[in-house]
Amino acid sequence: MKAKLKFIVPLVIIAFLISWLVFAGVRDSMVYYITVEELLEDVPDVYGQKVRVSGTVVHGSIKNELDESLQFTMADGKEKIDVEYDGVIPDIFTDGVEAVVEGSISTDNIFVADLLLAKCPTKYESDEARYQRKKG
Amino acid sequence: MSELGSIAILLSFFITLYSLAVSAVAARTGNHALALSGGNGLLSVAFLLIVAVCCLVYELVTLDFSLRYVALNTSTDLPIIYRITALWAGQAGSLLLWSFILSLYVAFVVLRTRRNSTAPYVNAVLCAVSLFFLFLIAYVEDPFGKLGTVVGEGRGLNPILQNVYMAIHPVTLYVGYVGITIPFAFGIAALLSGHLGDEWIRNSRKYALFSWMFLSAGLLLGARWAYLELGWGGYWAWDPVENAAFMPWLSATAFLHSVMIQERKAMLKKWNMILLITTFFLSIFGTFITRSGIVSSVHSFARSDIGPIFLGFMIVILLFSFSLLAYRSKDLRSEERFDSILSRESAFLFNNLLFLAAAFSVFLGTIFPILSEAFTGKKILVGPPYFNTVGVPIGLVLILLMGIGPLISWKKASVANLRRNFVFPAVVFLAVLLALLVFGMKEPVALISFALCGFVASTVFLEYFRGLRVRTARGENTLLALFNLVLRNRRRYGGYIVHLGVVLLVIGITASSLFVTQKEVVLGKGDSFSLGRYDLVFRGVHYISNDAKDGFSAEFSIENSGKNVATIYPEKNIYKYEGNREINQETEVALRSTFRDDLYLILSEVDVSGRVNVRALLNPMVNWIWAGGVVIVLGATIAMWPERRRKKEFSA
Repeated sequence: MKAKLKFIVPLVIIAFLISWLVFAGVRDSMVYYITVEELLEDVPDVYGQKVRVSGTVVHGSIKNELDESLQFTMADGKEKIDVEYDGVIPDIFTDGVEAVVEGSISTDNIFVADLLLAKCPTKYESDEARYQRKKG
Repeated sequence: MSELGSIAILLSFFITLYSLAVSAVAARTGNHALALSGGNGLLSVAFLLIVAVCCLVYELVTLDFSLRYVALNTSTDLPIIYRITALWAGQAGSLLLWSFILSLYVAFVVLRTRRNSTAPYVNAVLCAVSLFFLFLIAYVEDPFGKLGTVVGEGRGLNPILQNVYMAIHPVTLYVGYVGITIPFAFGIAALLSGHLGDEWIRNSRKYALFSWMFLSAGLLLGARWAYLELGWGGYWAWDPVENAAFMPWLSATAFLHSVMIQERKAMLKKWNMILLITTFFLSIFGTFITRSGIVSSVHSFARSDIGPIFLGFMIVILLFSFSLLAYRSKDLRSEERFDSILSRESAFLFNNLLFLAAAFSVFLGTIFPILSEAFTGKKILVGPPYFNTVGVPIGLVLILLMGIGPLISWKKASVANLRRNFVFPAVVFLAVLLALLVFGMKEPVALISFALCGFVASTVFLEYFRGLRVRTARGENTLLALFNLVLRNRRRYGGYIVHLGVVLLVIGITASSLFVTQKEVVLGKGDSFSLGRYDLVFRGVHYISNDAKDGFSAEFSIENSGKNVATIYPEKNIYKYEGNREINQETEVALRSTFRDDLYLILSEVDVSGRVNVRALLNPMVNWIWAGGVVIVLGATIAMWPERRRKKEFSA
């Protein structure tokens, strides 16, 4: 019995420590994943809160000047937000792609992003519709 | 050729069905002729799938755009080599590749185990797994399906996939993923047949090691591809697709260690089965994550119909395997007990628990959005900080155990044993720690990590040194002694080499994730800036134009204390080809790579006046990661290299 206890105690401690790490990790890094529409519904509560937002890049909205940060408008249905981003721009980021940004919305309703992902449509094929559309 | 391919796949499906039936009957009745017939069926399936793969490759190379798969993944301007690699660029092709690799493994197993009494059981399990994938390519995702419309040009392959690492990384990873099926089949066959000795482990250990080696190599090749091609400066982002391959690697690593305990001590039998089932489950889960698009990822997915089928298959695997395990549970008792917490057995046990805990936390982090949506209705992601918070402490303790495990004695370590083995490594640990503190390093994680690496490296050194001393005392010269030492005990000394590789890898990861310097600058011709020990001078923009692309390349001279050491050219290209307009930009990073650091340049923007916006990173010691990978593969190869025949060994 004593021998078993010698193992059970450290095991319980390890299990406890790992659960705590998982809990702390989730607590400190969790981010709500929402759409542009949901983001704007939550204004003003959402000001300054870190969120991840997905939407489509509005055609012609991308402004990328040499000395300034990247600016573009992201839309989802009828709702739109202006996004500002400083960082590496993915190659597939262009008009009309689905983009995902992480950051927070400032009080002047500009979304300041510190992460920009663009969904890559051909890593794995999507559907024939896309192909047909491209043809036509 | 596409008809031939379709027929080959259909035939494979039905022959596998037949093999499953006769193998099951042979397993029940012990009928040898039926067992052989089942095995032969599987051999013919391997042949048929070779035919099917050749057909698809032929169609891809000759660009038969009447086939949906060909039209979606190739184009007329695609070089031959990437037409071939388009085999695994899409869904149907990847699934065909899965079945094909599995059938080759299976054929190998069938040929080697013909005389084993459990062969029909093993074959039956292999048939069941093959059937699932064959069903998918025969009925759901047909690689030879017609497009339906006539097109003159295909959609082409994403330029970022046209890269030598992308050409080999998926296959390498698949060889690893698929290979896990073999030890799984042996394990399940042992449970089914009731032959629960360690025979199944001896028969399948090398397949497990082989797959593990390919998983490791595949992960690192993928990391290298991301580093060179995705152009954000890093190599690992805890993306779901990356995690999907990392999880089976974690549990396979645990399995490789704990089978040693079962072989030596006849302990942990149930545990090994659990690990094996988990690893197989995770490798299917990985394929599912990558293929179903259930978790969103930088690598976007097809929203295809195979998601639910995969889910069903995974539930069947779990239910079937674990109920079988429960049924045999009483026959899997350990023959020995854990005596002391200070013993090799418990070092291995803790190693196992931590690897599994790591796999579980990665799993949790990966499916967190699904869980949170199911329970709270809101999608919540956990990002890289989560994985780092959980992973770094677990990783550090695992490195510590990697040093302790090989040296601590079995059963119960005495004070003498501890002193004999750990005084030197502990001194090295402290020496590294002190040296780094003296040089002004303040990052606690890096201090611990580097010191632990010193600890592990010195244990490996100690083991080699002791082995060598025994041999050189007998009059062998040092080099010959080293050669013989490794040759005579390949598993042990090969394993140590793997550990050394891991040490290199950990040093590289620690340095490159904690000590990055980066700068974003706007430069006109002739401007310069400094980064770390380098000065970079911008010499101007060159315009590139050829058949495939238009683009800019920016010329940078790298100077180190006034001396020009290299000239590099980060590029920004626009591909001309019309077929794949959605992705036509490609930023080609420029790299000056040494073992001390990588200077990594990203050309973000070029304006009409020839000014550029450049992001420059100085990533220390990234090359150590790749070097570690090479050492790991070398060590694993030594560990599984077949033993020579007895006769030769005597004469050697």
